This record gives sequence, structure tokens and C-alpha cells, in this order.
Amino acid sequence: MKFVSVHDLLKMYIEESRIKLDKSIHEELTTYHDPCNYGRKGERAFGHGYYEEPRWVTQQCCENFVDMYPNRANNFCCGAGGGAWASPYVEERIFYGRTKAKQIKDTGAKLLIAPCHNCRDQIMKSLRKEYDMMDVEVKYLWELVADSLVIEPQEEAEE
Amino acid sequence: MEPLLLSKREKRRLAGQYADLCLTCGTCAGGCPVTGVAGLDVRKVVRLALLGMDQEVIDSKWPWVCTLCGRCEHACPMNIDLLALIRSARGMRDREKVPGVLHKGVAMCLKTGNNVGIPKEDFLFLLEDMGAELAEELPGFEVPVDKKGAKYLFTINSKEPFGEPEDMMFWWRILYAAKESWTTTSENWEGVNWGLFTGDDASMKEVVGRIVKNYKELGCEYLVLPE
Repeated sequence: MKFVSVHDLLKMYIEESRIKLDKSIHEELTTYHDPCNYGRKGERAFGHGYYEEPRWVTQQCCENFVDMYPNRANNFCCGAGGGAWASPYVEERIFYGRTKAKQIKDTGAKLLIAPCHNCRDQIMKSLRKEYDMMDVEVKYLWELVADSLVIEPQEEAEE
Repeated sequence: MEPLLLSKREKRRLAGQYADLCLTCGTCAGGCPVTGVAGLDVRKVVRLALLGMDQEVIDSKWPWVCTLCGRCEHACPMNIDLLALIRSARGMRDREKVPGVLHKGVAMCLKTGNNVGIPKEDFLFLLEDMGAELAEELPGFEVPVDKKGAKYLFTINSKEPFGEPEDMMFWWRILYAAKESWTTTSENWEGVNWGLFTGDDASMKEVVGRIVKNYKELGCEYLVLPE
């Protein structure tokens, strides 16, 4: 049984020129959130943390990139991991997210990329509102890629 | 209070076989954003586990305000398996006492094939409908379902068909542009495995097994879990 990570798949499409991307669509300063599962926990469980691949993919779509500090294996959790997004401990979840919110604000970025549903929801739907950073747009990594696509419509005759 | 006789304690059930290596340095707690919330300190969890006071940990809020992010474990100079320890405490709670909707989602997934109980016909209708909408922009696009021999099998996060269906189109656009051979499935397409969060290994394995069954029956080459 073979698996492929979303990061490797997106990277492959770009490297093999199977998709074309337009960098002029996202010109704002952009940062990347390391989800615990793709990074730190993946590294421990499978021997590889996805730190560089998603940064590379992000930078194929965005010219202006800045990292949060700390990052990669030392990054802070969004605050909603481990099922906390679906748990009733809402106050605790928001309090937890204060470190993440500060990290994001400190970068000055206006676009944040998250390759995890959970992290994206916590940051986009909760932390932005709670910590006064509604001016930061949040996108999934694949949303960023999809929004940067230059799609040539395929002829139906090809099929 | 009766003294706790370590010589007579029951064999501890919580995971954490290396917990007795703890140096009590506090690096774990120092780097954790929820230290202090509800009195949480990772070292207390380690100490209670060592003392065999499993039930105190299981009944506490700690395993649930922790997000299992692994920063404490990453920083621990003795490499103690703190996540396995905390997650095992989650798993030892009565299922009825698992906070919020997590266990209900697991039970729903076992029963219906997805965490929110979307019926098969509704799901298929939605995919067809959304696919037709995208085809207005991308000629010839449709969502492949149960397509034998597709190269990539994609699972779906149920929150999307449930509440944010247009978000499914991001991947669809990319796959269309890349002219990829892919499919999703009409049953057991849920990619979110909440057994991971509730410490429920048996349910987790069952849900994974169903995805593997789809993968084998369809003869796909790769599995992609975009969650």
C-alpha cells in the first residue's frame, strides 16, 4: 500500500510543470503555519517532518514570504489540535491560541497558509476575531495553489 | 488521607513506560501554551502515572485541554513518550464521558461511514451537483466516484460536504489542471479519524481498514488523505 502526502503531490505537479502558477495573484507578505501533525509528529512517527516542501510550494505562489519564530519542529500549535476544535473547552482553546496569534502578528504577514483543516479553522474562524487580526487572510495550502492556477481549458475531444 | 503504598500499587495502566526517567526539569511545561490552565503541568501527569494514580489523570480535564501537539515531547531531554501517556488517558475514559462530539463522531462514522452521518445518496447528489457547477468553468469536469484503476484515491473531510462544499473545489481544480487520474468513493470516504483523538485504537483501526478495503477493491496506486 502506497501513500502520498499532499505536499509531495503538489510539489510534483509544480516540478513536472503539470500545473502553471501565477505569482502575481498573491503579492502580499505571506507566512506559513507548521501543523504539528505534518511537522513535529510526522517526524517522530515516520522519520520525516514536512517542513520544507510546503514552504517551497507556498513560495511558488508567493514572492514575499516570511517565517514565524519559532518555526518547524519548535512551532507553536494553533491551539485547536487533538480534537480541541470539536471539544467544549472553548475558552481554553482560545487562550491556547494566544501564542499562535502573537507569532502571526509579529511577522506582519497579511496572508497565512495552513495545510491542515483544523489549524485553518482555528486561525481563520477563531483567532483572527479573538486577537484582532481580521486583516490577515487565511488559506489552505491547496487553496493557495488552486487560486494561483493558470488553467487552460481542456478540449472535451481529448477524452 | 491514607498513605499511598508504592509497593502495593496496581500495575500502572497508563502508557508511559519511560516516565520514570523524568528529571522534573520542567522543559515540557515551560514550552506548553496551556501550562497552568485547569492546573495542568505535564510533569504532574508524569508523576501521577508513576505513582499509579491513573484515575486522577483520567478524570481530569488535562488530557483534553492538551492538544497533543507534541512540543513537550520534542523538547524533553529524556525523550519520554508524553503523547502516548496523555492519549492513553483519553482512551481510558468511559466513552460516555468523552467531552463534546468527538466520540459521537466516532460512533457515527462506524455506523454510517462518515463522522456527521451524511447519507450516501445526498453525498453523491452533492458531488454531481458541485461537479456540474465547476464544469461550467472547466469543460468536461466531473467528480470521479468509485473509479476502478484510478491512480490516486482521495478521502474527504466530512466538514466540507457538510458545511463548506465549495472548498472541495480547490483540489478538484488542481487535479483537473494536472490532468490527474483520481477518484473518491461513494462509501467510507471519511478522512478524519477521530479515534486518534479519543484514544480509541479499535475504532481507529476499523475506519482505516474500510479505506484500505476501498483502495484495494478499486485497485488504486496511492492513497491521499488531504486532512
